[in-house]
Amino acid sequence: MSKGVHRFAVFVACATFFLIIAGANVTSHDAGLATSDWPLSNGQVFPKMVGNLFWEHGHRLVATAVGLLTIALAIYIQVREPRAWVRRLGWSALGAVVAQGLLGGLTVKLNLPLIVSAAHATLAQLFFLITVSLAVSTSRAWLEPLTIEPDGASLRPMCVASLAVILTQLVLGATLRHSATWDQALPTPLLVAHICGAVVVTLFLGTTVALVLLRHRGQSWLAKPAKIAAALLVVQLGLGLAAYVTRMRSPYDPQPLNPMIAITVAHVACGALVFAAAIVMTLRVFRSLRSGRNEYRLAPA
Amino acid sequence: MLSKNARLWLGLIAALSLLSLASSCTPSGGDEGKTDETGKVYKATGKEGTISGVVAYNGAAPEAKKIDTSADPVCASKSPTLATEDWVVKDGKLANTYVYIKDGTLADGSKVGDYGGWPNMPASATLDQNGCHYKPHVLGVVVNEPITITNSDPTTHNIHFQPKNNKLARAEVLVPVKCNQHPWMKSYVGVSKHPFFAVTAEDGSYSIKGVPPGKYTVVAWHEGGANGTEQKMEVTVAASGAGKADFSFGATALGRPSSWPVVEAIEFPMLQKH
Repeated sequence: MSKGVHRFAVFVACATFFLIIAGANVTSHDAGLATSDWPLSNGQVFPKMVGNLFWEHGHRLVATAVGLLTIALAIYIQVREPRAWVRRLGWSALGAVVAQGLLGGLTVKLNLPLIVSAAHATLAQLFFLITVSLAVSTSRAWLEPLTIEPDGASLRPMCVASLAVILTQLVLGATLRHSATWDQALPTPLLVAHICGAVVVTLFLGTTVALVLLRHRGQSWLAKPAKIAAALLVVQLGLGLAAYVTRMRSPYDPQPLNPMIAITVAHVACGALVFAAAIVMTLRVFRSLRSGRNEYRLAPA
Repeated sequence: MLSKNARLWLGLIAALSLLSLASSCTPSGGDEGKTDETGKVYKATGKEGTISGVVAYNGAAPEAKKIDTSADPVCASKSPTLATEDWVVKDGKLANTYVYIKDGTLADGSKVGDYGGWPNMPASATLDQNGCHYKPHVLGVVVNEPITITNSDPTTHNIHFQPKNNKLARAEVLVPVKCNQHPWMKSYVGVSKHPFFAVTAEDGSYSIKGVPPGKYTVVAWHEGGANGTEQKMEVTVAASGAGKADFSFGATALGRPSSWPVVEAIEFPMLQKH
């Protein structure tokens, strides 16, 4: 296994995170339709980057770069990676980024219909999930021999359930953000659902992190992502409250303004990081813990 | 390789996500399927009158907010002191208020809504993009009236009408118009089935001419606030007569315009009645 593959996978995951921030800026600036054509912007590859076109076309440029990086990563993994499932994960990343680009174009061509825009924002998080998974699975720590410990039956399903509620919460958040622009009031039912979702995520992720720390406090391999997920969750709840306060005022502003823009973008970005930390924790739990009582020593994967 | 259980869980996550997305993206309702077209045409009798009045603003006028146009050098140089136009108040009079006949009964017992055609329907309107803001700020047109949109700025604008029913061929009060390139650019277009509407001038005055004798509900709509605010008044127009309808928008006891929320930012909309 090449160290270069892991480093490159980490780089692509970081670039994807940056892409999520760029996309969040498009929504917060209400720039999704700054140009009505796609894939070109106003018929040009490099239009004058003024007004909201800076955000929309900037997002397209970053997305193009991430798409090219993903192609390179899929090929790199195909060449250097002996594990078939990792190679398949690499190609699925490529499929996801292509679908994501097409959804981005579709939502522009269709005038930002809610379902397409929300799907675009959701697939962004799923693509991030894949790139983070690639970064984790190609790491040296993943490949080192591990003692597989018995853990009862609770941690694996708790991790997966946490991921499921986080993803559902991300879907709700994406739908909420795209259901009203900065100068419109947010729809109450979706807002309530998103707030309830935050409570559910806190319960599930909090319980999972507590279980990991109680049972495996000494194993930094498991404890570290759990602690990071918990810290990010606290930050995310604070950002959510701040985003709510600033977003409720924004319809009375003359244009999208800070701190609303900065806080809502940070809320989206931190949500992605909570998801990423939960993914790392889940993958490591699946790698090193098993249901049952026997203990195994596992050779390199 | 992922175990069978793990694949099962991942499948469950995907299904839950799709379910959540589908349930939260319900299609908008509205008046789909309705048309604004009726065959009946009103014929002028020569006894039509007018409805006129003044729209005032009570209390201290909200200050216009400065718009930051620096995102586009053309806007910054052409309109360095651009400000919001949601509350344009001069000497206690409110401009940019859209006043129109919402419904009513003519002297012969027929309803305003029974007619699909009226004399002196406006032929066309113009909406200009100048200095990175729309002129006029509020515009009234009749259904299917052509609107000429001009760009007097050496930069790109991306005009975006946002009617509720995704069609401009329906009556709607009022259709917001945005520029997706410059998010501060806003205008409102009132689309009416009849020509009985007006927009208040700087002195708050308006006049609606050619109104058949009858009793009408006149509405004054102003954009202030998140969803606009409106006031109604019953007005009777005698044969060749003049009806009077003065409106007044104003500050609440807290000193805010009446369309502003009482407690901003920390209110909880889930506790509000709908």
